[in-house]
Order: sequence, then C-alpha cells, then structure tokens
Amino acid sequence: MSFISPEFIAFILVCAIVYFCVPKRGRWIVLLVSSYMFYLFSGFIAFFFILFTTVSTFYTGKFLGRANEAYAALPKEELSREEKKKLKSDVQKKKRRILVAALLANFGILAFIKYFDYGMNLIDSLFHTTAGRFDLIMPLGISFYTFQSMGYLIDVYRGKVDPDKNIYKFALFVSFFPQIVQGPISRYDELAHQLYKGHAFDWDRVKNGGLLILWGFFKKMVIADRVAIVVNQVFSNYTEYQGLTIVFSVVMYTLQIYADFSGGMDVARGTAQMFGIGLANNFKRPYFARTVPEFWRRWHITLGTWCRDYIFYPLSLSKAFGRIGKKSRKLFGNYIGKLMPVLMAQMIVFITIGIWHGSSFKYVAFGIYYGILIILGILFEPVFANIIKKFNIKTNNFSWKLFQILRTFSIVCIGRYFSRAATFTTAISMMKASLNDIQPYAFYKHDLFNLGLDTQQFIILAFAVIVLFAISVMQEKGIQVRNSLEKQNIVFRWTVYFALIFGILLLAAPGISSGEFIYEQF
Amino acid sequence: MDELMTILKNLRPDVDFKTNERLIDDGILDSLDIVALVSELNDCMDIDISVEHLVPENFNSAKAIMALIQSLQD
Repeated sequence: MSFISPEFIAFILVCAIVYFCVPKRGRWIVLLVSSYMFYLFSGFIAFFFILFTTVSTFYTGKFLGRANEAYAALPKEELSREEKKKLKSDVQKKKRRILVAALLANFGILAFIKYFDYGMNLIDSLFHTTAGRFDLIMPLGISFYTFQSMGYLIDVYRGKVDPDKNIYKFALFVSFFPQIVQGPISRYDELAHQLYKGHAFDWDRVKNGGLLILWGFFKKMVIADRVAIVVNQVFSNYTEYQGLTIVFSVVMYTLQIYADFSGGMDVARGTAQMFGIGLANNFKRPYFARTVPEFWRRWHITLGTWCRDYIFYPLSLSKAFGRIGKKSRKLFGNYIGKLMPVLMAQMIVFITIGIWHGSSFKYVAFGIYYGILIILGILFEPVFANIIKKFNIKTNNFSWKLFQILRTFSIVCIGRYFSRAATFTTAISMMKASLNDIQPYAFYKHDLFNLGLDTQQFIILAFAVIVLFAISVMQEKGIQVRNSLEKQNIVFRWTVYFALIFGILLLAAPGISSGEFIYEQF
Repeated sequence: MDELMTILKNLRPDVDFKTNERLIDDGILDSLDIVALVSELNDCMDIDISVEHLVPENFNSAKAIMALIQSLQD
C-alpha cells in the first residue's frame, strides 16, 4: 500500500478511529494489528522475514538481558580491580558469541537478499558461466527494520536498555507501519515506550500530524514527481545529452531525492504524530550544510547516527585499530598516526552507507567518494586553516557562508551521478559528457524545456521550490512553522490549510504518480 | 579535574569547558572529538572507556566526564 494513495488515507483514518475508541491499555494492540495488516498488503512471503527478525531478536535480547542481570547480581565488592575486569570480560565473551550469531543471521539474510543475485551476475560476467538466480523480491523495509532491530540488540548487549519482556509489543517496535516503508531507523529507548503507551485523543496533535502529511504529499507529488520526469528522461537516454543538460538533470535529481525522501519522512512522522508518537527526524535542511560532514549530520540522520554508534565508535576505539594507530605513528608521524583509526573507521562507515543502498558497484563508489572527501577534509584541515589565515579571508559573513553552502551542494551533486545512474560506468560516462561539450546556450535555446516539462510546468516547479525554500529558511532560523501557524487567526490558518490541500490536488505532477518512493527500494 | 581540563583545552581550545553543559546535545563535540578524547583519557588516566560509556550524559560537561572517570577508577 503506497503512502500516496486514497487507500493509505482511508487506512490511517480507520486505524485512528479504532485506536482512539478502544481502552488506552489496549491501544498498542491496534497499532500492532494495523502494522501487520499494512505489512501483509506488501506480500505474504515478506511477512516471514520480518517474523524471523522479530523472534530471533526478541529471544537473543532476552538472553543478553539475563546475562546482564546475572553479572549485576554477582558479589563484586571483595574482588580486586583486575579480578573485576576478568569477570566482566568473561561475561562479555559469552554475550558476544550470542550477539554475533544473531547479527550474522539477520544481516546475513539482508545481505543474501540484497547481494546474492548481483554476486551471481558478477561471477557470470567474469567467468562466462550461467550460475543460478533466486530473483528474490526485497521484503518491504528490510534494510530499515533489520538495522533498527540490530541496534536494539546491541543496546541490550551494552546494557543501555533492558530487554523487552513482551514479544507482541516488541513485534510492534519492529513493524510500526508509518516507519516500515523507508524509516526512520528508530532507537528502542526513544520509540518503544511511546508505542506501548495508550495516547489520548488530541485534536491539535491530529491536525498538526495531518498538516505534516500534507506537506510530505506536497514535496513528493508537486516537486519530486515533477522533477522525476526530467531526471528519468536524461538518465534513461544519457547518450543523447551533453554538458549543461546533464548537469541540470543531476541538480534536478539532487532536488528530487530530497523532496522524495524527506516528503516520505513527513508522511511517516505526521502519521505517527496523529497517534501521539514522535518519530526521529531524518532531515535537517541538508542542502544548507556548509561542509560535507555537516551534510551527513543533516541527511538521513538516523542512518548516520546508527553507523556512528554501532560501527564508527566500536571500530575507532577498538584495540585492533589502536594498534594500527600506534604503528602508523611510527610510519607516518604523530599527526597522521593519531588520526589513522578515525580515518579507517570513517572509510568503513561510508562504504557501509554506500552498500546499504544496494548491491551495485556504483554504491561502493558512492561510499568511497564520500569517505575520501571526509578523510581529505580531516587531513587538510590545518592547511585550509592556514590558507584562510594567510589570505586574510573573512569567514564570519554571508558571502563566505554562501560559498561554503554552494561548494558543499556541488560536491553532493557530483555524488548523485553515482546514486542515480544505472551503473558505475554510466555514471562515469555521464560525468565525462557533462564536461565534454558544456553547451552553455542550453537555457537560451530552450533545450531544457524539451525534457518532458514545458514552460508552464517549470513555472509550477519553480513556485513549489520557492515555497519549499522559504519554509526551509524559516526552519533554519528556528521558526517552528506549524506552531507559528497555530497562533494565527482562524481565517488565515484555514486559508493556508486549504491552499495546501488544493495546491497538492491542482499542482500534482502531470500523469498519475507511481506512489513509489526512491528509498522504498533500499 | 585539572588534568582533564588540560586535555579538553588541548583538544578544543575554542570551547569553554568550565560552563558548557550541553557539549553533546548542542553538537559542540563531534564524533571525531569524542574518539580523540576517549583515546587520550584511556591513555593518560589508565581507565577503559568503552563504547558502552559513549552516551551523551557522560560527555555533556567536564563535570560529567570527571564523574565517568572516577566511576571507572573505582
């Protein structure tokens, strides 16, 4: 069931009516039944995958929790520091074995589904064989719920959270329907208690949630789906285009993927908000970022923080990486040696983020691209600081900030060649074609208006982008748009609500939206 | 506390560690700072700060970091 469909709106309405009609203590059951019904709409086989993750994670969590309790109950007052250390290490070893088994099983399934057929294709092309295929269909949201569940397991292992005692409630945590399609990847300590609590009906909250859903529809249907026409035209027929036309389509894709993904997030968060549940924010106006690391702190935030907490920290603080750091100090000197564990961990994180998106080599290239940029940024930080000092560049002004924003946006656009082009080689070909024959007269000759959108459509798009930009600027300045709207008089407020509704209905992209979001496929 | 303040000052001379109590919540210290700080503390104070301890409550202020160090030294 697509988020962009009358069925979904009807589904939310029915869920909300039933949710607020049943007694508070049973409301989580309504969410669980709704989530499983929503999931079953996506396919029967997919259902077994989510069931496996739920059951295996729940019981592993229980085991880890028991081990934590047993360790806490041991009398340790009489023990020396060394003895305490040894005892802890023994318990950790036992826990780690179970944790690793659960991680391997769940990530193994994810890897198998995502990468098996690609691996077979690769073997065939290298050795001219015809190996078997499974033609597996990706279960809905498997990357999202697997990461979320494994995050829970690691948190229990670390003693950050107590294991869930109720498998049905835990099943809701794994499958909560607004976030199953494309995240956000929630944390157990932030989400579970909200899901299990019965929330009272609150008209303002329902209205605010509805408004966020509408805003998500606006981004998706008016901007993303409209821009997609241009993007699909150029990327599907890339050999026919050169220079500025390709650059333009890449910039358009950069806009599309933001409007698409963040629009989907708004629908998810708005839906959850109607039930009184606050989902983590996945975006913080990423294209206003002034550096690449800042971009990644603003884009797909929950995946970034997941990688930071469960990959970056454990790796960069591990003994193995520490030893590499010490060796590197001897080889490359103190500065690089000290940074080496961090740099290596960063590269692994970005390759993980790359391959999280899919099996093609272009995603590895996407990860390496960002990994290299971040590493260079860290290594050359003192050099850049020196240049700024030497040339007496003033950095606390609008022009410098604008330069930084445009520089970061350009870097992000280059990365989009990899994520949108069909293959790595296509991405490289398109990069070359972008530089081969710039054709700066593309605008003048109206070439860009022959890519599927006519002048009128471009005007609508420009208007919608200006609205998006204005709202983003307000948010960037700390204005809470919906709260500010709430303070206005009723006539103005409802004028805005109706303008948004009719704006979506009248300005939705031409043709019927597929209703599919880009991140659904991941 | 003095040794900790010296380490913090060397790490980020631009931050006022005496008064700031939202070092993580406000994004003043990023993940690179945290890794550098933890490595330095583990080396200098003979403690073992591991990933389990990397929660905002333990790093939001110099006082909180000191409390973490003391709990690990006990």
